[in-house]
Amino acid sequence: MNPAFSDAQLAAFLDGRLADEQLAAAIEAAINADPALAERAMTLAEGGDDIASQAVRDAFAPVLEAPVPPRLTEALAAPVGAEVVNLADRRDQTRALPQPANDTGSGWRWPQFAGLAASLALGVMIGGPLLGGREGGAGGDPGALLLASAEVSAMLDAAPSGQAQDLAALGQGEVVLTFRNTAGALCRQFTITAPGGGATSDALACAAKGGDWQVEAFGRRAAPAGEMKLAGGDAAVGVVAAVDEQIAGDPLVGSEELAELKRK
Amino acid sequence: MNADEPTRQALVALLPRLRRFARVLTGNLADADDVVQTSLEKAMLNWDQWQPGTRLDSWMFRIARNTWIDDRRRAHNRAGHDDISAMIDLAGDDGVALVEADDAARKVRAAVDRLPPEQRDVVALVMLEEFSYRDAAEALDLPIGTVMSRLSRAKAALAKVLAMPEGMVQ
Repeated sequence: MNPAFSDAQLAAFLDGRLADEQLAAAIEAAINADPALAERAMTLAEGGDDIASQAVRDAFAPVLEAPVPPRLTEALAAPVGAEVVNLADRRDQTRALPQPANDTGSGWRWPQFAGLAASLALGVMIGGPLLGGREGGAGGDPGALLLASAEVSAMLDAAPSGQAQDLAALGQGEVVLTFRNTAGALCRQFTITAPGGGATSDALACAAKGGDWQVEAFGRRAAPAGEMKLAGGDAAVGVVAAVDEQIAGDPLVGSEELAELKRK
Repeated sequence: MNADEPTRQALVALLPRLRRFARVLTGNLADADDVVQTSLEKAMLNWDQWQPGTRLDSWMFRIARNTWIDDRRRAHNRAGHDDISAMIDLAGDDGVALVEADDAARKVRAAVDRLPPEQRDVVALVMLEEFSYRDAAEALDLPIGTVMSRLSRAKAALAKVLAMPEGMVQ
């Protein structure tokens, strides 16, 4: 049986005015065990003019009125999973490309995408400066997208793998892999992280005629949440798939990488 | 399945309250925004777990509170026990001077920030969000008497601060 607590005792318990710790613990246990007593306590708690609650609400009101940082609204706007564009799909639509086994299904691939101007779409995802709206390569390939960022081009021209590079307004870049593709062109997979540790994008570019770098694929990483981990390391799945598709032989490392860069 | 557009709008509208909730839990706005961002990402990934017709705010507060508990667990592993509350106190008003300039309000916030973690989530839901004891108990997975008891202790601690004349705190 619960001891019969008085309304005054219950009210004091609710308001934090009960000095007797043992009594407070007994009331807590009794309320947890007895739904009728819980009801009685809740009824008593109703309509109390609570100065403390008002003071706390006032104190935290500025947080409610503060502008919400864009990264929070963006967390809601972004589709689940990585956004990926694979330009090879677009250039070679007649060839059925195998879907990567670990495709999240939410990547953007060219068949769904063909109606959009590629430079616009890429600009939205990775930032205008990277591509600068230059669509159509010097080699006359209508699907080619050439890098328009001097900083990124300079990184791809000369930086060894595994060294972070300052890309000015674009943030930080790093080449993660260098290899020759099946056509013999030099290709480099790289990452760009927006200033201030923002979103990370992955991309693959291969050397084109005239010394330009042609973007083959890129994707923005899915934000890591909880235990979810994307296969193929952390890189955007579409970019990993494009590398798998194009790589011929082993990646180039060390002095070999630097030598190959010189004769790009 | 993704959240539909009206629900997305409801989540956007909920953001200020979610930030306030997380601010009370974490003790500073920067950590609060990290908790909110992770919570939103979790919510979008686990969208099919939300039952339409139930309270969206409750569901989000619950996710945010679990995220915060996870974070604290990790921070605890990293930094050793007693540093955490000290870190939270010190970080109390960082980087948001404009938002938290008002002196009296700052004292109340500081008092809330000094409450033990298990009282802060109850304070955030019942005092700020004006959840009923029953709804708070459900959102926090606690028995009602325990919610009442924790809030009661928090009120007792806050009363000491609120009763002090201006300028007398500490």
